[in-house]
Amino acid sequence: MEIVVCVKRVPQTEEAEVIVDSSGADIVKDRLTYDMNESDVYALEEAVLLKEKFGGTVTLVSIGPQETDDVLRMGLAKGGDVALRLWDPCFVHSDGYVTASILARAMKEISFDLVLTGCIATDDGRSQVGGMLAGLLGIPHASYVTRVEIEERTVTAHSELEAGLIQVNRMPMPALLTIQTGINEPRYASLISIKRATSKEIRVLTMDDLGLEEATVGGMGSTTRIMKLAPPEVGKRAEILKGTPEQVSDTLTEILKKKGMI
Amino acid sequence: MSAISVLAEHRRGELRDVTFEMLVRGRELAEKRGAALIAILLGHQVDNFAQRLSEYADRVILVDHPDLIHFNPEIYRKVLTSLTKNGRPVLVLIGHTAFGVDVAPGLSVDLNLALVTDCVDIRFEGDQLIAVRQMYGGKLNAEVSFAEGEGLATIRPGSCAVRPLGLHGEIVKADYPAGEPPRREFVHYIEAPPGEVDITQADVIVAVGRGLKEKANLSIVEELASSLGGVLACSRPIVDAGWLPKDRQVGSSGKTVKPKLYIAVGISGAFQHVTGMKGSDTIIAINKDPNAPVFNEADYGIVEDLFKVVPVLKGKIVELRSS
Amino acid sequence: MDFELTQDQKLIQDMVRRFAINELEPVAAEIDRTREFPWQNIKKMAELGLLGVIVPEQYGGAGLDFLSLALVIEEISKVCASTGVIVAVNNSLVAYPILNFGNGDQHKKYLPLLAKAEKIGAIGLTEPNAGSDVAAFESTAVLEGDHYRLNGTKRFITNGREAGVCIVFAYTDKSKGHRGMSAFVVEDGTPGFSKGEHEDLMGLRSTGNCELIFEDARVPKENLLGEEGQGFKIAMHTLDVSRIDIGAQAVGIAQGALDAAVKYAKERKAFGQSISEFQFIQGMLAEMATQIMAARLLVYHAAVVKDRGVPRFSKESSMAKWFASETCMNAVRMAVQVHGGYGYSKDYAVERFYRDAKVMEIYEGTSEIQKVVIARSLLQGT
Repeated sequence: MEIVVCVKRVPQTEEAEVIVDSSGADIVKDRLTYDMNESDVYALEEAVLLKEKFGGTVTLVSIGPQETDDVLRMGLAKGGDVALRLWDPCFVHSDGYVTASILARAMKEISFDLVLTGCIATDDGRSQVGGMLAGLLGIPHASYVTRVEIEERTVTAHSELEAGLIQVNRMPMPALLTIQTGINEPRYASLISIKRATSKEIRVLTMDDLGLEEATVGGMGSTTRIMKLAPPEVGKRAEILKGTPEQVSDTLTEILKKKGMI
Repeated sequence: MSAISVLAEHRRGELRDVTFEMLVRGRELAEKRGAALIAILLGHQVDNFAQRLSEYADRVILVDHPDLIHFNPEIYRKVLTSLTKNGRPVLVLIGHTAFGVDVAPGLSVDLNLALVTDCVDIRFEGDQLIAVRQMYGGKLNAEVSFAEGEGLATIRPGSCAVRPLGLHGEIVKADYPAGEPPRREFVHYIEAPPGEVDITQADVIVAVGRGLKEKANLSIVEELASSLGGVLACSRPIVDAGWLPKDRQVGSSGKTVKPKLYIAVGISGAFQHVTGMKGSDTIIAINKDPNAPVFNEADYGIVEDLFKVVPVLKGKIVELRSS
Repeated sequence: MDFELTQDQKLIQDMVRRFAINELEPVAAEIDRTREFPWQNIKKMAELGLLGVIVPEQYGGAGLDFLSLALVIEEISKVCASTGVIVAVNNSLVAYPILNFGNGDQHKKYLPLLAKAEKIGAIGLTEPNAGSDVAAFESTAVLEGDHYRLNGTKRFITNGREAGVCIVFAYTDKSKGHRGMSAFVVEDGTPGFSKGEHEDLMGLRSTGNCELIFEDARVPKENLLGEEGQGFKIAMHTLDVSRIDIGAQAVGIAQGALDAAVKYAKERKAFGQSISEFQFIQGMLAEMATQIMAARLLVYHAAVVKDRGVPRFSKESSMAKWFASETCMNAVRMAVQVHGGYGYSKDYAVERFYRDAKVMEIYEGTSEIQKVVIARSLLQGT
């Protein structure tokens, strides 16, 4: 089974300070650490599990400059066989549609049975590239997948809806699935697989290789554009209790008592 | 006259709230733009839905067909594309829900209409169309423009209050287009299994998030919950890590709760979680990051290491209870 | 001179770091308290190849070099020094001498077991009456037909309680002085081989440390490692190698202590400001960071020299071990100091780092012995 996994290198912002830069439309990146997008890690693991069950190869694809190799290399060490990095400096500020188009163009040359992507990127939170890619490739897809079953050429996918409800859908391959976190337990790369990963290839494809034109990529090719970034307006702001743990506990206990909670 | 269309979302016999939120928002946009507000309803034997929607739109376009009993993005895309033969709306609103995310990206490709997802606000400024959405887990808001002043937007549920619009839209039936059958087939739904504890019934909930660091630390928070006679709940990462079962998850893919008291411990406050608890009477947040979005939702906040504060708080509550 | 790690080495470091944070850190304080051997994590690490880093792939190991092993041990030791030394002993004090001095049958028999942590290794050198003074060992091994009769006691043996494969040093011919010592592989279950009580130590409490007791133990003669009389040489060479790893362990502990101190300094306020603004605190952090960097480079350098195949590297490994253990002691002392009263509480990891650190200056050759080794090397012009 030929599986393609689309991965993204994202900044780890959950515990970091996120500051708008001087352009007003991007963030200051120099103090941030980067890693593979969380749901992509689960997508990769799912792909490797399927490969281990059915045989075949796992191809990692990502759009990004040289630093992205770190993420691809780790992906190869975790069971990926081949990696493709797509890059041209013109690709910066590509919106979701352009991102999906670049991926679709790269995949024109690959024969695949299944495409797995993460269901959401933790930086922009768009949840759109997977669905758009499926649309551009002309293949059926399912989103927020928490379970994959394959029988012959049919994929059965469990999609998580709201409130824990699951919708089960069936579709023929080739198909695309956007993978939800928690679907499996991602492995650590073993020392041997890290060793093997050195000899695995990361092919870099440029804009020329992909046959794309400057006008259709990056900020220039995008029909949506981030104009401004700013911290959210302080709407309803919590009353912050001040003091030592002792003091705030006292204050809070009083508040709860007054509300009849104790 | 241009149109602003809203795709109605329904499931298993119910119209979902986000539909009305979008119609109310759509009304404001339509008025500003001098456009018609159109509700699009795809389903089978859903005349009652059409009636309700007609109170919230200038027109309801109804496509009725057995193929539309269960949501299928391929069929929806086929039908919606055929509806645009009569003219493209300047803006199409779809709920940013599991169904919405399933259909909007493909529809955007089919219609060649720019897409911005998970919008908390959207407005026209002259000819410009601008959407507001969150990034970086809610730490920043982004203003995103649609280059061509038209587009498709998925709207975050709960981002607009619903009020009656008092409209009397006409209900127009449109044909179900012929075409290839979809490749994807609906099989069935699976209900979330009932857990041992139904957190939606609790008066007091103490919820934990990634700030907990290790499974072993659950006991610290469990004790706080017990001291208040409440139950333990959590955000998604805790369930992904296998520390608590799914029935304890509060959030868009878990449960929505409205207890009297909700204490969020070590939870950053990303939208997916907050949406499940913001209806609580009193919300208290404990997080050592002063910029955590959770403080925007809480009534009271403690900016402190949870390991320093929770045991002390529990001690005081126990003390007060026994005196 | 390229000070950069290779991409592989960075991946290894990254993987072990994640594993350490996600799997080892959550239980580190607990196993220190209960003195429980962390079998579950050891098994998981074995699956990743960490218990046989330098064991060739054909025997189930990862077939990597000593620099990679040092990186592994450093990352583990940042969060759990006990687990770090378990891995170090298994790799360089047991698997390595078997690999380097053993025969094909011994390779096939023992290396796969160690690499997969089906058996854990231990090395018995130290005795109740002799630590540094190897010549004063009292253990004896007498050849009697098809087996050796082994008598003696080894004390303070890391991994002892759990060990299935032990390398034991005993005199086969006392008259020849240190050239009369031999090394043996003794498996658990050997008649006459028993283990003492679990030691109650200041630090490194989860390594199953105990005595190994041999009372007319029957060790098959095939279990002689190398040749009779080669024991001392095996011990010295093995220690030269393992000192690199103990150096790595010390660097790891020191780095863990520094990271905790930096974090604490940023969060703690006194006199109206963050204590990280105070020069005394900054001074301590600067000293720690600089010494740790120097120690790390000495350790990596010693590993690289070994990997290059240089036959004698006692000076380099002793320098690394000595300097790293001193650095570690300074670092944990300062880290606890930065934490103030909290550093004295078991609620904070630095308290454990402080206790774990002390033995760095004692085991694998005391700091005094290391200096003798270094000085001898200088004086001999090597």
